Amino acid sequence: MLHESLLGLSVEGKPRHATVLLEGVERAVAAAGGWDEVGLIAVGLGPGSFTGVRIGIATARGLAASTGLPVAGVCTLDAIGRALREGDGGGTDCLAVLDARRGEVFAALYSGATAERLWAPLVSSPADLVERVAELPRPPRAAGSGALRFRQELTRRGVEIPPDDADPLHRVAARHICALAAAEKAEEAGPPAPIYLRPPDAVRWHERDTFPTAE
Amino acid sequence: MLILAIETSCDDTCAAVLDGPRVLANVISSQAAAHEGFGGVVPEVASRHHLELAAPVVEAALAEACVSLDEVEAVAVTAGPGLIGALLVGVSTAKAIAAPRRLPLVPVDHLQGHVAANFLEPEPLEPPFLCLVASGGHTLLAAVRDHRGHEVLGQTLDDAAGEGFDKAARMLGLGYPGGPALERLAASGDPEAFGLPVAMSRDPGLDFSFSGLKTALVYRCRELGEEGVRERGADLAASFQAAVVGQLVAKLERALERGEWDAVALGGGVAANGPLRDAVATLCERRNIRLKLVARELCTDNAAMIGSAARFAEPLSYPEYLSYDAFASGQTAEPTADGPKTGDIDPFSARRPVV
Ligand SMILES: [Zn+2]
Repeated sequence: MLHESLLGLSVEGKPRHATVLLEGVERAVAAAGGWDEVGLIAVGLGPGSFTGVRIGIATARGLAASTGLPVAGVCTLDAIGRALREGDGGGTDCLAVLDARRGEVFAALYSGATAERLWAPLVSSPADLVERVAELPRPPRAAGSGALRFRQELTRRGVEIPPDDADPLHRVAARHICALAAAEKAEEAGPPAPIYLRPPDAVRWHERDTFPTAE
Repeated sequence: MLILAIETSCDDTCAAVLDGPRVLANVISSQAAAHEGFGGVVPEVASRHHLELAAPVVEAALAEACVSLDEVEAVAVTAGPGLIGALLVGVSTAKAIAAPRRLPLVPVDHLQGHVAANFLEPEPLEPPFLCLVASGGHTLLAAVRDHRGHEVLGQTLDDAAGEGFDKAARMLGLGYPGGPALERLAASGDPEAFGLPVAMSRDPGLDFSFSGLKTALVYRCRELGEEGVRERGADLAASFQAAVVGQLVAKLERALERGEWDAVALGGGVAANGPLRDAVATLCERRNIRLKLVARELCTDNAAMIGSAARFAEPLSYPEYLSYDAFASGQTAEPTADGPKTGDIDPFSARRPVV
């Protein structure tokens, strides 16, 4: 059950991940020496694109059913937080921010000293996030697609963001998904469940009683 | 050949195991309760449920068939048409099960699945035959000349028949899915009470249309008022049902007049409708044509029919399917005009885009 042989599936963004994900998995497995060398399947649970997250989890669960391997889910924000913390010895707190589209962000905050989660994953407007950040005793470092999108607003509050947009720190890396899954071991709690953080729109309309009816 | 089949094109999560034309297991996990409050299928809600249910449903099918994955020789999956987010869960699951075992993957057209339900035991129907597929997502007449495919002779120009039932049921204050509820109410009503138009009866083609009928029902309901609709609900339901069945049977008969057919089959959820079955049976008897009615669980969406179609379809071998993608239907890939631009759901899914 080598660390290097852990297989990380992380999806972010476009639904077309359906066409590239499994190919990437098979390539990684072949490089590791085949399925016999794999001990655990790790998968990013989101938050992220609903469809992308589902393709990742459906693929991971299908692979688990096929191979009999255990499968463990990891929050994608944790992966960003871990990468960010790994690159900094200073103990600054780490803020993972993903672009949730529709003018919102997904975010979570991690202690730079202990890696412990200080904020549970949340969805909010960038303005609310900036406000929360302003209340922190010390501005954190931040990374992720949301940190890029709202770089100006965040840096104005003293948040430090890796300057290069192409910096791998801004992307969810399967390597970190694997490392986190290996550290936590396979979840006993049952099959990996997606972290959506948002209800389907139809549910929101329904609750507001403005669901558009057909004719 | 042992086939594991998966179907997730609309709101039922299905898996089946087939040994040739024999169905060893056919597991269907309906999400109807999850969509009930919306009066129709909400794509994002459907996708979320498919993800939860896909792996357990596959396991249940294998267990019920007393088959292990080691014995499975091919994995079949509905590739489309349908709700793209829902299809992707099934396709991703099927590919991931097949790949580590180097099994072939057989992508199947959902509509051919409905046709292929007739190839299953008991008493498989051999082509050629004429197949009427009517459900919440599609209404079409298919000419089936061999096992590998079908030719569409006519299809709905607007709503699907089952979609019409769902909308009518909503107008009459019935639950979702509307078909069975409307049929129950109609049983005590007079089908001639309101004389709703049998659309397309003068149209020489084989296409269908149900939106005019729906509009006619809207007007009747308005004239009657809320109280009147409650009082005459059974008559309204019976009249609506008679008009839908009338059109389906009229077009079927026209198709029979045009070709040399000696067998007819029904498929899709609407094929479970009693008055439709009776009317088609009468028609077939009169014309001395053999009628094949598959069991109800093979009419509505199911994975056994997908496995059946897969027996005659072109398999993709490993690794060519690794990048294989699902396809939505033309109309349902994008949210409609007033839908949210970001597109994680389609508020008009009450239109039941596809079954
Ligand atoms: Zn169908």
